[in-house]
Amino acid sequence: MTTIVLLSLLGLITLITGLFTIKRYILPIVVSGLLVVFAIHTSSISIINENGPMFNNMMKFDQFSILFSGLILLLTVLIVFQTQKFEGETDIPLPELLTLFLFAITGALIMVSYTHLVMLFLGIETLSICLYVLAGSRRSELSSNEAAMKYFLMGAFASGFLLFGITLIYGATGSFHLAMISAQIQNPAIANSPMLIAGILMVLIALAFKVGAVPFHFWTPDVYEGSPTLVTSFMATVVKTAGFAAFFRLFFLAFSHTPPMWNQTLWVICALTMTLGNITAIYQNQVKRMMAYSGIAHTGYMLMAILALNQVAVSGILFYATAYALATIALFAVFITLQKNYKLDSIESFNGFAKKNPFAAFVVAASLCSLAGIPPLAGFFGKFYIFSLALKQQNFWLVIIAIINSCISVYYYFRIIVAMYMKKAMDEQTIEIDRMSYLVLIICMLASLVLGLFPDLILSLNA
Amino acid sequence: MVSIFYFLSFLAVISAFMVVIAKNPIHSVLYLIMTFFAIAGHYVLMNAQFLAVVNIIVYAGAIMVLFLFVIMLLNLNTDAEQNKSILIRLTGIVAGGILMITLIGAFKQVSIVKDTTFYASGQAYDIGLVKNLGNTLFKEFLVPFELSSILFLAAMVGAVMLGKKDIK
Repeated sequence: MTTIVLLSLLGLITLITGLFTIKRYILPIVVSGLLVVFAIHTSSISIINENGPMFNNMMKFDQFSILFSGLILLLTVLIVFQTQKFEGETDIPLPELLTLFLFAITGALIMVSYTHLVMLFLGIETLSICLYVLAGSRRSELSSNEAAMKYFLMGAFASGFLLFGITLIYGATGSFHLAMISAQIQNPAIANSPMLIAGILMVLIALAFKVGAVPFHFWTPDVYEGSPTLVTSFMATVVKTAGFAAFFRLFFLAFSHTPPMWNQTLWVICALTMTLGNITAIYQNQVKRMMAYSGIAHTGYMLMAILALNQVAVSGILFYATAYALATIALFAVFITLQKNYKLDSIESFNGFAKKNPFAAFVVAASLCSLAGIPPLAGFFGKFYIFSLALKQQNFWLVIIAIINSCISVYYYFRIIVAMYMKKAMDEQTIEIDRMSYLVLIICMLASLVLGLFPDLILSLNA
Repeated sequence: MVSIFYFLSFLAVISAFMVVIAKNPIHSVLYLIMTFFAIAGHYVLMNAQFLAVVNIIVYAGAIMVLFLFVIMLLNLNTDAEQNKSILIRLTGIVAGGILMITLIGAFKQVSIVKDTTFYASGQAYDIGLVKNLGNTLFKEFLVPFELSSILFLAAMVGAVMLGKKDIK
């Protein structure tokens, strides 16, 4: 709870500093504030096991929530680092932009630590409302307006599904508390009640929408493409992680004893998500659209961990989300600069990039290899871990589909690498990347490599 | 009591249906107001007078007036709906129909058991009063109540940022 309170306070402070003309200090304030929050957050790990549910069972800060909150905070630091160069890209001034980011992750932290369905709804809404605004923050651009509008309308619709599902679950079990629901479901009469099953399916639909799983993915490419690139990178990493954590927490704490009804549904969603995401990504020529479809494909892999639904799967999701986020942030950090230079969205903007900036090109290549799952990078181990998790659950067919899909994904990831190293550049000028982005690139690169070689660094956290 | 329930339900369903099929947006809004009144009637039946009043003031009053304003300001009160292709209509009908079948199937098998001890204790008759609502809100639901202020602040910042004329 301290983390959430501090984070919302930090948001307020940022908002107020916008009143004064000390713009230079805002970014250092926010970054150091986030790091302080993270430090306080990690110091609470030691006392966590005594922490019971808090505030009438509204939230519980268990190991799961501490781990995912930490990941969300660190990823946000990486995103916030890049806001300086990004300032000209939006019509929203820096203080308000940062405030919205901070409030968004406040919502994300609620989403990873709730034990009450009302808190789940509140967290998702806080996160989403900030995102609707951030997606539309380039007001003068039509595509940004379109992204915000589409995201808002569809997101509101999905929230409706979530609420209706919560109502039905309440009707069947008589409680909003995850532990109480889980206890009620032990009773077969309640577990088989059609109202509960309808409720679970509706909540499943809403959460599948939020993480962008097929067939509820239609908003993803348009919203990713239209939003300012930094916001896209935020959505693809922090928001996706929070969405998965909320998804997993709900099903793990409340519905692990229900009949396998939702399991089969999720199986189909999972297979469809991987396949459609990867196959559609092949046909994309724009980097952001391609990354959107690749994000959908990665959603599919992560859903495999939700299908497993045990304590080991927590490590799987945590590791996979970290690996995916690190690679995505690095890729987008370079792409923002390229976009500024060429005013282009297509893959051609990467042509000959290796000659212009060998280091950045190398980091992009490494990130793409990590996304494709090539050892020794973190992405490989993430995939390996999740696939082996599914194998233990006897999900052979799903693993076969996933492996075929991984092979497909290599093709479109390597299109960018080929463009960087083998194609001729459009012009001769070198591309400089600012210092903050270099820092982000180095951090992402090192973290990907280290986590790929020593995955226990993260896996041992969830002991 | 039961006949009032059926009447209100009938009214709510019919007017909600009309909201969707009415061609003129203003008619849609008026039907929506009717739906809200019918639902407020349901709240009264369930002894939640406060919710009923709030529902009418906030939804039927404030929000719907805003709706009407926007529709008139943007001059949308003509039939401006584009013709959608048959395929899209068919998809909508199939998806909506499946959802309806699922829900009807779910609700059909639900049996409502009247909790007699709850009624005998008399709690049922003042459960929706402001006093009890406040107690629940500030005791059990204190955390969501406070955290929703973040949500509203974020929405406010966003609305100002998106609506302001020239920001820089």
